[in-house]
Order: sequence, then C-alpha cells, then structure tokens
Amino acid sequence: MSKNHKKEFTKGIIKENPTFVLLLGLCPTLGVTTMVSNAIGMGFSVLFVLTCSNIMISLLRKVIPDSVRIPSYIVIIASFVTIIEMVLHAFVPDVYTALGVFLPLIVVNCIILGRAEAFASKNTVFDSILDALGMGIGFTLALILIAAIREIFGSGTITLFPIGSFDGVIEIPVLYNFPIRVMTLAPGALLLMGYLKAFLEFTNKRNAKKEKLA
Amino acid sequence: MKQYFKTSIVLAIICAFAAIVLAALNGVTKPIIIEYENQKTLDALQAVSNDLSISDEFISVTDNDSINYYYDLSENGEKAGYLLNLVAIGYGGAMNLVASYNLDGEVLQAKVVSNSETPGLGKKSEEDWYMTKYLNKSIVPTKKTQLSSEEAAAISGASITFSAIGNSLAIGSEYVKGLGGK
Repeated sequence: MSKNHKKEFTKGIIKENPTFVLLLGLCPTLGVTTMVSNAIGMGFSVLFVLTCSNIMISLLRKVIPDSVRIPSYIVIIASFVTIIEMVLHAFVPDVYTALGVFLPLIVVNCIILGRAEAFASKNTVFDSILDALGMGIGFTLALILIAAIREIFGSGTITLFPIGSFDGVIEIPVLYNFPIRVMTLAPGALLLMGYLKAFLEFTNKRNAKKEKLA
Repeated sequence: MKQYFKTSIVLAIICAFAAIVLAALNGVTKPIIIEYENQKTLDALQAVSNDLSISDEFISVTDNDSINYYYDLSENGEKAGYLLNLVAIGYGGAMNLVASYNLDGEVLQAKVVSNSETPGLGKKSEEDWYMTKYLNKSIVPTKKTQLSSEEAAAISGASITFSAIGNSLAIGSEYVKGLGGK
C-alpha cells in the first residue's frame, strides 16, 4: 500500500473523522448512541452501505450523466440499505429489531451521500474502497465512544451482544443504581458531542502548535 | 434531445437493475421473515397466556381499529379471560402488542411484539419490567401522572410510548368488559 493509499484510509479515522470533524450524520449519531450494541450495529451497517455504494458509484462514475447523478446515487444507496435491511431482518433479527427506525434512515445519512459526491464519483474504485473503509471505521469508532460514555453514565450499563450464558449486559457499580439520566436523553447527547468536539479541537490545535515549533 | 434521451435511459437502467436485485433478494428473505414474525407472535401469545389454556381458533375483530383478534383463555374447562392482539401508535409508528385479560378487564400480562420506537427510550417497552406498570389494575394507566414518582422516572423520555401502550391496553380492557365473559 503506497503512502497515498494509506493516507486515504487513515484520514477518516481521526483527521477527517465524519462525526467529530466533518460533523456529518449527526441525527443517527445522537439518536442511536443510547446503547453500545446499537452503536456497533449502526456503525457496521453504515460501513457496509458506504463501502458498497462507493464501489458502485466509482465503477459507474463515467456512465452516470452529471444532471442525474444525485438521483442515481440515492437509488444505489437506497438499494444497498434495503439489502442490508432484508438480510438483517431474515438472518440477524435481534440486530434488526435493535436498530429499528435508524436502519432505513441510513439512506439519508449525509456521510454516505457526501462521500459518494465528494470522493467516489471522482476517484478510482480502490481509492473509493479505502475512503469508505476509513470513513466507516471512523464513524463506527465515534459512535461506540459516544454510546459507551452515554450508556455508562446514563444507565450504568454497557450493553453488548449476548453470547452463550453471558446476557450481553455489564452493570457498572454505583452508576447502575444512581445513573445520570440526562445522558440517555437528546440534551445529554448534544452536551457530550459538544465536549468531545471541543476536546478534539483542543488536541488538534495543540498538536499543530507543537509541529510548528518543531 | 439526444442528451435527454441518454440521461433518462441511464437512470432507467440503474433503477431497473436495482429493482431486479431487490426482487430476487426479497424472494429469498421474505419466507424466512414471515416465518420469524409468525413464530415471534406465537411465542408472545404463549408468554402472556398466564398459564391458562389458549383456544385453538382466534376471533377476528372488525369493529375496533386497536384490536386485531382475540383468543379465549380457559382454566379447567371454564372461561378465565381473553388474549388480545392489539395495535398502538407509538412515537415511531404502529406497534403490535399481545395482552391477556381476566373477565373483569384487568391486564394479567402484556408484551410488545413489534415496534419502531427509539432505541434506549421507547424501545425499553420490550423489556418485561416495563409492562408491570399496567398489570392487575382496574383502570389501566395511560398517563405518567397516574404512576408513582419512581415508576414515572423509569419511563422518562418515552412518555408517548407509555401513553400509546396504555391507551391500547385500556381499549382492550373496555372491549373485554363489553364481551361480558361470552
């Protein structure tokens, strides 16, 4: 993998993180991050749709006329979302039930349409795959981070997927009995997003300053 | 003109291809989904039967928009209540519930079968503890104000879901009272 390819892949994880830097897809981010298991399910669903749609749009970039590119992208993205919806409903119904209304809403997730328009429609298939994987992983990690903080403080639990005798729920002592309920609500999500964004800005600026001095 | 023709042909081909792929996948997944949903409803009916015997055939309800159908419940051969399949309109749209009632219209057990409520908020209604707020009460609570402060705190952020389920169960209760043990 060349340096350029590596850059395409890693940029979405921190430097151009879709949630904290590009501020894309905030509605599902705030809505779905009440439980860690939901964040994982949503993150991987977006990763799948983003990768598939980026591949398809990059392949068709010379065929799709400019004037109908947005409706074409929406048809492609909506098709992949419907595919994942059908597959999850049939084969992993628990994840399908947990994601609920947020699953069909991936169609209008700005990250997917944004990457299709800004990247996949102008770059090769390989670069588009790297971009989708980087952005998808960055989005998934951001969702897991927000969900973990919200669930730990708001419910005093960490909800994962049940395996064997493990029911999937880890209870946090003290916080389980005295949770900070606002964290599970929309205002708590907005407050947390603000603090995390401020922290990221602070560290980015400090790093930039250090690089300048060095 | 030629440009418009080419543009519309390309868009039509993309749409047609997407429709074919989705139709093929639907053919594979639809029977599995139907089987899963039927099993889920049967499991839910069994779970809320309160250890009473469920009649073999259900009776469809056409004169009430909130009730799909009901089964008779019996104990030692005598009628002991009803098992209703209900519809509620929650925050995320239609919800499907099943609930068992005694002959006086009190909810014995209830369960949400399907819903599109918000994860972490209205979706808590899927958990067993959530439904205990409605059980064995002569008047089914439909508002948070009818609950104790502890119970109300547990459903904070999901009042619409709580009222939707409460209203649906209350309609079911009235319907059961109207049946009068018939």
